[in-house]
Formats: sequence, C-alpha cells, structure tokens
Amino acid sequence: MYKKIISLIAVSALFFGATVMAHTIAKKGMKADLVLMPKFLGILVFDQANNGAQEAHRELGNPGKLEFLGPTPENSVAGQIEILTTATTQGQDGIMISNNAGDQIAPAAKAARAKGMTVVTWDSPIPSGDGEQLFIAQVDFNETGMVMADMALSILGPGGGEFAVLSATPDAANQNAWNASMKEHLKDPKYSKIKLVDLVYGDDQSEKSYNQALALVDKYPNLKLIMAPTTVGIAAAAKAMQDEGLCDQVKVSGLGLPAEMVSYTLNGCAPEFALWSFVDLGYLSYYATYMIATGQIEGVAGETFKAGRMGYYTIEKDPTRDKGLRVKMGPFSVYTKDNVEAASK
Amino acid sequence: MSLKLKKLMGWEGFLLVVLLLIISVNSFHSPAFLTVENQVNLFVLSVEKIIIALIMTFIILNAEIDLSVASMMGLAACALGWMVESGTSTSTAIGLCLIIGFLGGAFNAYWITVVKLPSLVVTLAMLIGFRGLARVLIEDRSIRVFPPWFENLGQQPFWGPLPLSVYIFLVLLVISVLILQYTGFGRYVYVIGINQEVAAYSGVRVARVKTILFMMSGLISALAGILFAARLGSVRGDMGLGFELDIITMVLLGGVSIFGGSGSIYGVILSILIVLYLRNGMSLMNVTGHIQTGVIGVILILSAMIPNIKTWLEGIFEKKYAS
Repeated sequence: MYKKIISLIAVSALFFGATVMAHTIAKKGMKADLVLMPKFLGILVFDQANNGAQEAHRELGNPGKLEFLGPTPENSVAGQIEILTTATTQGQDGIMISNNAGDQIAPAAKAARAKGMTVVTWDSPIPSGDGEQLFIAQVDFNETGMVMADMALSILGPGGGEFAVLSATPDAANQNAWNASMKEHLKDPKYSKIKLVDLVYGDDQSEKSYNQALALVDKYPNLKLIMAPTTVGIAAAAKAMQDEGLCDQVKVSGLGLPAEMVSYTLNGCAPEFALWSFVDLGYLSYYATYMIATGQIEGVAGETFKAGRMGYYTIEKDPTRDKGLRVKMGPFSVYTKDNVEAASK
Repeated sequence: MSLKLKKLMGWEGFLLVVLLLIISVNSFHSPAFLTVENQVNLFVLSVEKIIIALIMTFIILNAEIDLSVASMMGLAACALGWMVESGTSTSTAIGLCLIIGFLGGAFNAYWITVVKLPSLVVTLAMLIGFRGLARVLIEDRSIRVFPPWFENLGQQPFWGPLPLSVYIFLVLLVISVLILQYTGFGRYVYVIGINQEVAAYSGVRVARVKTILFMMSGLISALAGILFAARLGSVRGDMGLGFELDIITMVLLGGVSIFGGSGSIYGVILSILIVLYLRNGMSLMNVTGHIQTGVIGVILILSAMIPNIKTWLEGIFEKKYAS
C-alpha cells in the first residue's frame, strides 16, 4: 500500500516536476450546484458558452446540477438581479454571471457572497468588483481595443476616414472597457487618419442595432466603417448595409461569430472581424467556479489551476479595473475571407 | 345569503383558492419557498410595482388609466441621479423629484379634466414624454453617484427583516383600504367609475376627484422610482421600462373592471400575492426567461376576461342559492 502511494507521488513528481509554481488540479466528482447566467437568453454565443460549461460539468463528474438561467432581453437588468437573488435563496453553491446590470447587481452579489456562495463573472464583470470573486476575461481588454483599432486601420487603409462604433448596452462593462481602450489606442500617431465620429448603442437587439446602423449612415455622409464589438450588432449592421446596397461605401467590422458572418465576409460587407471561443470561455469559467465552490482553490491572486483540456491559468489582479481579480483566457482569432468559411462550420 | 359569504364565492374567493394552490405547490416543490429570506426577497424584488398597483387600483376604479407610471418612475430616478451628480444634496434632490412626480400628475390631470381628452391618450403620450425626458437627462449612461446612506435605505433591512420600501408599501396599503372602503372620497371614486354623468349631476366634483387621483399617481410613481434607484444603487434611462403592463395586470387580475366602478382593493391584494408567488415559484423551479413571461401573458389574457368570467360565476351561484 505504502509502496503504491510512494510510487504515485514519484510519478506525479515526474509529471509535474517541470512546473515551478504551485498549482491545483481539479478533484473530480465533488458536488456543487452551479448556475450559468448569460446577459439574456436567445444569443448564440451564450448558448456556446453553455455548451462549454456543460462539457466541463460532465468531464468533472460533478453530481450536482448545472443550470443555464437567464432573463429575457427587455428585462435583462431586473431579471439578472432576480435570478441571482433566487439562486442565493435556493442555496446554490456558485454562479457564473455575464453581467449586464453594471454595478446595479453588486448589492445582490454581495448578499450572495455573505451566504457563502461563489460568485464568478465571465464575459462581462461587475465594474466596481464589488461582490465578485473572480472575473474570467475572454481576452485582455486593452488588447480588444487594439484589435478594434487595427482592424479599422486595415479596412480604412492608409487614406483613413470616418468610422463609428455600434456598441451593445451602456451598462455592459466589457463593451465600455473595450471602447475606452480603443479610444486610447487611437491616440497613437499610427491611427491619425482614422477618425471616430460617434458611439451609439443597439442594446444587443437585432432590430435596434439594424436601425442604429442605418441612422449612422444618414447622420454621417462620409462614414466609411461601422465597428460593432458585439456579435448581435455586427451581424445587424452588416445586414443593414447589405440590404441598402451600401457595402461598397460603408464596411462593417468588430467582434462577430464566423457562422453568422460568413456570407457578409465573402461578399465584402464585413471584410475583417475578430472573436474568441465562447465554448472555451464557458469551459474555463466552469472549472474556476467549480474549484472555488468546492474549496480546491481560494480564488486569490497568484493561484494557478489546471482547466482540463485548456491547460494552466493563473489568477491575477485585473489591470483593467481598480479592484477585482481576473483570469485571462485569450487569444483572439481574426477572421477574413481566407479563414472564415472553415471557422463557420 | 350574507354579503360576506357572497363575496367569498365571487372573484375574490376564486383568487384566494388560486393563491392557496400556488402556495402549496411552491412549498411542496422548494424547501426554500417558505423561508423568511425568500418571502422578504420576493416582495423586495417587486416592491416598486406593487406600490404603484395600489394607486392604479383607484385610477382604474375611476374608469381611467395611467400608462405613464413606469415612465415617471424612470424620470424621477434619472432626475435624482442627474441632480445628485450635479452637486445637489441627495435629500433635497429626493424632495425635488417628488415635486416632479406631483407636477407630472397635475399635467396629466389638466389634459384629462380640463381639456377632456381620454386618459388613455394623454398618459400614452406621457409614457413617451416622461421616458424621453429621462433619457435626455442621463443619455446612454448609467450613473452611480448616491451616498451610502441612500443605497443602504434601499438594500438593508430598516426594521426587522424588511427594508424601508416594504414598510412604505404596507402603510400605503392600509391607507388605500381605509380611503377606498371607509371614506366619502372612496365612494366618489366608485360612483364616478360607474357613471360619470350621474355622479356630476348628483353634485360630485368629478374633476376634483380625478385631479387628486392623477396627482397622487404621479407622486407615488416618483416615490417608487426613488426607491428603485436606492435598491439598485445606480440609475439609467431604461429603468422600469414596461413595468406599467405588470402593474395593470395585477389590478385587472384583482377583479377591478377596466370599465370602472367595480372591483375591490382586497382583490388587488390577492392578485399581487398571486403574481409575486407565481413568479417566485417559477424562479425557484428554475423556470426563467420567456417561459415565465409566457405564463404571465396567459394571466394577462385571463384578467382581460375577468368581467365575463365574474358575471358567469355569479350567475351560477345566483341560480344555485336563489332559493
């Protein structure tokens, strides 16, 4: 028996000897009832994140339940607060939130923490960091701003021109951080010829985004590009330009799903856009939440854990907010007509 | 048959049965349902709506409607945020926002009682107007500027397990019952609802009653908006968007006829409990999003059919107990 254990330790040491830092590998089969909450239901990328979380749930053999609960779009803010409050009442062990309620959700998150629940955000954090243990960032938020600026430069070319941003909701912390970081990057002389003329919100609703895109074109006759850092906004803007036959004049770019964007990329309406894998984001969020909720990691800065097939991640201070911790996933994939077809399948 | 028993057999009796049914199903399905924490939460999560449902009961009994309540909530909340952001003290700003609510209600009342436009049209216009003002003040932003005492007021228990907003609701509830059931003003509200012309010829000052009701509606909506801002700790232009539908649903489900004159505040209390318990029960069973909206939609249809169902039910009981 002892021999077995010793040899096990020896083998483990051999396996992990290469890693210098202390790290935790998830114990399987521990019970934690978890909730994955999207900004609201009916958005493809959130369903993909759910697939990733379900994959991790099966892999870890968690005998508890994983629920995918979200509000309806028109009731997003009040609905998110209600779901979080109810989850606390139900005695759920942890929740993963893509926050659409800004700091309005912080009181409910603090109440959940006071009850011993694990609160992890993903995709979009709580801006003040209040009530949240950890944020799973899809990419570095400064990098998003740079990718947006670079795509604008690449589409507008050396001649430059006017462009506008079509964002999601004014309270989406991720959107705000990206837009702010893009503005910061635009100050670089490299981008001196491209000019940001407006920033509007389509609330992540197709119809409103579509109308906002058309309104932008009407308002700025010299507009050459609409940059939408949201999968709903970019698809709606591309459709609007295509429907109105404006694709030669006004291009569309931003963050989009290959499956939704493939036709617009091939016909030139949206020649270039970027995104990360939402399946992986859901998978990684689940691992982090499961390990904190079952007490395997504490969720403090400096801890390293292994998220299954995705490898090792370290918790660090979030450089994009005053307060709060994050795990950065990354990287970006930039899609053009050369690779979009393969990615859309 | 005694009046009380007859009442119990009518719509309110039916609501009571439905309520008890929902409570038993909820307690059976979720051990968390009957906990004090959950009972408190389910009120706190909707307290702004149920406060407005009380004054809406008066308005609909009066054969009018106020569609601008949720927009007034949003306007008061945004005006509060805007004023505090520009340096006004929070307590002064609260006072000013209540005045805004009062004046907004007076504005509605002017067009309804003096110009004699239908309240449906006037308040629909103000649904858009107040909301537009709120958005102009805040633009596409979300602002978080309130001092801690104000946020605590909305989020922390005030006395016992309940926050201040729930006490405000309870006080307003008692006042509503007293006014509606035991005062002359309450009887005027019913009489005008039944037949405005007859009431006027009988010496009831119709315009005065309506003006008071719409002013109170504006004032209470503004109060609800302030409480909403305190609970969430920040404001933005779309706060309370669409709440008027939930509020009107509660009142109609309570058995108040959309044509005015019939229904009671007790029915509204029962229907408030039904809607809250139903939503809470569904959430505890992890039913959210569109399914929940769908169920509430079915309730709306039901409540639109209330006058018919009620007469039909009454007919049956009349026949049965006529002898």
